[in-house]
Amino acid sequence: MGRTLPSATQIMQQDEAALGRFRRALRRSDQLVLDDLFNAAQKHLSAAAYAANILPFESFLLSMLLEEHKEVLRLRESVEGLQKRHD
Amino acid sequence: MIEFDGWLLDLFEDEKEGVVLYFIDRKGPRWRLTTPFPVTFYAQGSSEQLRALWRYLRALPEITDIHRTQRMDVFRRQWVPVLAARVQNPVALQPLIQNVVSRFPDLEYSDADISITVRFAAQTGATPMSYCHVVADEETRELKEIEMLEDAWVMTPQPIPFHILHLSPSGDPNHGRPRYLRVSYGKRENRYLLSDMQNVLICLRATLKRVDPDLIVTDWGDTWLLPLLIEKSKEHHIPLRLNRDTGRDILLKKELTYFSYGQIIYRGQQVHLFGRCHLDRKNAMLWSDYDLDGTIESCRVTSLPLQVAARVSPGTGISSIEMLTALREQVLVPYQKQQAEFFKPASDLFSADQGGIVYQPLIGLHRNVGMVDFTSMYPAVMVYFNLSPETILPDGTGGTPVPALGITIDNSQEGLVPKALRPLLEKRIALKKRLAMQKIWYPPDRKRIEHRASALKWLLVVCFGYLGYKNARFGRIEAHQAVTAYGREAMMQAKEAAEDMGCEVIQMYVDGLWVHHPNWSQPADLEPLLLEIQERTGLPIALDGVYRWIVFVGSRGNKSRPVANRYFGVFQDGSIKVRGIDARRRDATPFVKETQLHLLELLARHDDPFDGLPQAVKYLRTQIRKLRSGKVPLPDLLVKQRLGRKLEAYRTLSPAARAAFQLKSVGKEPRPGQRVAFLFTRGRPGVHAWDLPEKPDPGSVDLARYETLLIRAAGIVLETFGLDEKDLTRLMRTDLKQLKIPLLK
Repeated sequence: MGRTLPSATQIMQQDEAALGRFRRALRRSDQLVLDDLFNAAQKHLSAAAYAANILPFESFLLSMLLEEHKEVLRLRESVEGLQKRHD
Repeated sequence: MIEFDGWLLDLFEDEKEGVVLYFIDRKGPRWRLTTPFPVTFYAQGSSEQLRALWRYLRALPEITDIHRTQRMDVFRRQWVPVLAARVQNPVALQPLIQNVVSRFPDLEYSDADISITVRFAAQTGATPMSYCHVVADEETRELKEIEMLEDAWVMTPQPIPFHILHLSPSGDPNHGRPRYLRVSYGKRENRYLLSDMQNVLICLRATLKRVDPDLIVTDWGDTWLLPLLIEKSKEHHIPLRLNRDTGRDILLKKELTYFSYGQIIYRGQQVHLFGRCHLDRKNAMLWSDYDLDGTIESCRVTSLPLQVAARVSPGTGISSIEMLTALREQVLVPYQKQQAEFFKPASDLFSADQGGIVYQPLIGLHRNVGMVDFTSMYPAVMVYFNLSPETILPDGTGGTPVPALGITIDNSQEGLVPKALRPLLEKRIALKKRLAMQKIWYPPDRKRIEHRASALKWLLVVCFGYLGYKNARFGRIEAHQAVTAYGREAMMQAKEAAEDMGCEVIQMYVDGLWVHHPNWSQPADLEPLLLEIQERTGLPIALDGVYRWIVFVGSRGNKSRPVANRYFGVFQDGSIKVRGIDARRRDATPFVKETQLHLLELLARHDDPFDGLPQAVKYLRTQIRKLRSGKVPLPDLLVKQRLGRKLEAYRTLSPAARAAFQLKSVGKEPRPGQRVAFLFTRGRPGVHAWDLPEKPDPGSVDLARYETLLIRAAGIVLETFGLDEKDLTRLMRTDLKQLKIPLLK
């Protein structure tokens, strides 16, 4: 069936492709980190689709932040745990 | 008939004789020959206008032929009908053209302002300084035949048996009146006191007569010595035959200040001679890089006369090579170029209007870093991808598309610019290879090859700029953009090749990459990478060297912010390379530079730079002690800064401007673009201009200020190893207090 608007998946693929030149000019190690960020954003595709923001890339950025912050929280918890054990 | 083999020393236009040529015969004699040399210019436009021009020209006595013909117009990409007019004597061309242009302003003129040496080279193949076989009439001394025996592209040209006369005053005349004049020829050297001008003139006249030099090489000859000699020779009625060609005046070109690439440039006055050449080592472009061999090389390939080649920027040389190629290919050389950019959407500017790739380096110390760079990248791109004003297809259809730009390249035939540059590029690569093979032993001609290679290098460096300069004869902005686009693409491919092979890319800078691989430490380890990059990009790339270690320094304002081109490092063979720090800066004081460089040398002596740290600190202490005890000679403390504007235009006075005002008060006003040398002094005005007549008082020198400069420069080098400016200041102060050395008088 035809679509009037591209799906969130399509938009993410487009955005990723649009960043191709940016990605290409990064050092290889940074390229892999960028890919990681997009993988993180992928996890919240359905939320981004549901939000139907005019600028979907904003939702993708938030999704990346979300995953990053989750990681920060997780690391903080484990550092605190380690400190307690040390004391 | 006269027949000989020799070198074309000089040629110039003459009102009566057409062109006058001076030759050095390999058997010894010097020849003055002449030849009539009619020159042709072209006009294109509407038929009525051309007919009117034809009627006008027909009546002029200096025109000997007018006819219709066809010539290639590279900007229209086709052969066009033109009116060709032949002027009997080249001297008559300039006034005639000015007259014609004002009468018929709507026509387009070509080949109207090409220098006589370029025309002569296009017609006969003989460029100045080239070795040729010459036949001339014995009676009239008219040139009958000239045949090139060695063209500009010969790898090992025969040395020219010049008679060279050196004239140099005992010191810098801007600083104080020199005491004597050193006159040397071969192994003989005489000194004449300048207080007795009459004696100087008489002796010099005799020397000129006896030696009959081909070259007069001077120090400050343009700006001081020759004008002084000419003036005094009139005053004392002792004629000096500086020119070999009698009955001609010396050509004096006035001083000039101009603006180029964001810099104010000052060019001093020039003195040109006829029949022999005058080179002023202090007023020659890049003399330190070129020397005489480089100047001759640039003269041969550009067909500029020696006296001009020594003094102009390489850009003029590139223009000249392009014009020479155009004349040979029957391509019109536009007189006043009128050509606009193609129309294009503003969004195109984002992708097109970019320079080369410049990365942000990873700041700090890196070990085992290989540096590879594309050999003459932009010229190579122009030659290999055929980029020239006429090969750019505007509509983007057909041809080879340029990466990331909406234009395509017509590859059906070689463009004018690639054609002009190809031999230059090939010769440079060949000379570079020869030098690379000679790395281990040092034959006596190594320096000479280096000078020649460097002359070619500078020509190639600027040729890219000339492609993009709207007013350059064969410039077209789209071609320029295509060059950088191909350059960026090649760098990306090189980066990818390196990363595919497991390297970390530390830095990329326009045409060079710094890469680190855990298992690579010797030049041979990088061979596969070079081959891979060459394979992917199609461009020649070479290894600059493998750094045992290299440090990329942060910005002066913010140490954690990377700067593209500020680094120092040590190659595997122990040689040091430095960019962007005091040791390389022309305005830094010699004492600071010397100290910074020696600190580096001390670190470079060890496999691990940290092992050199104690010695470095010790050395810095001795240098500071030397400074504080007043043992540093004043010339080593001189700062030389360039004046950026006219004195009236300064609102807040920089130290250089204050020094310039001091000079103005004694009647020596420096021009914008000139460098002013001064010392920092205590109290007001804080500086003492070096070229003031009164000597500076050594006690007034602001030693504390120099100390700050010195520690700052040391900090740049030592910071990465854990000692920054603050640490060093603390360290040096405590140390000196303990030693009880008196602080300043």
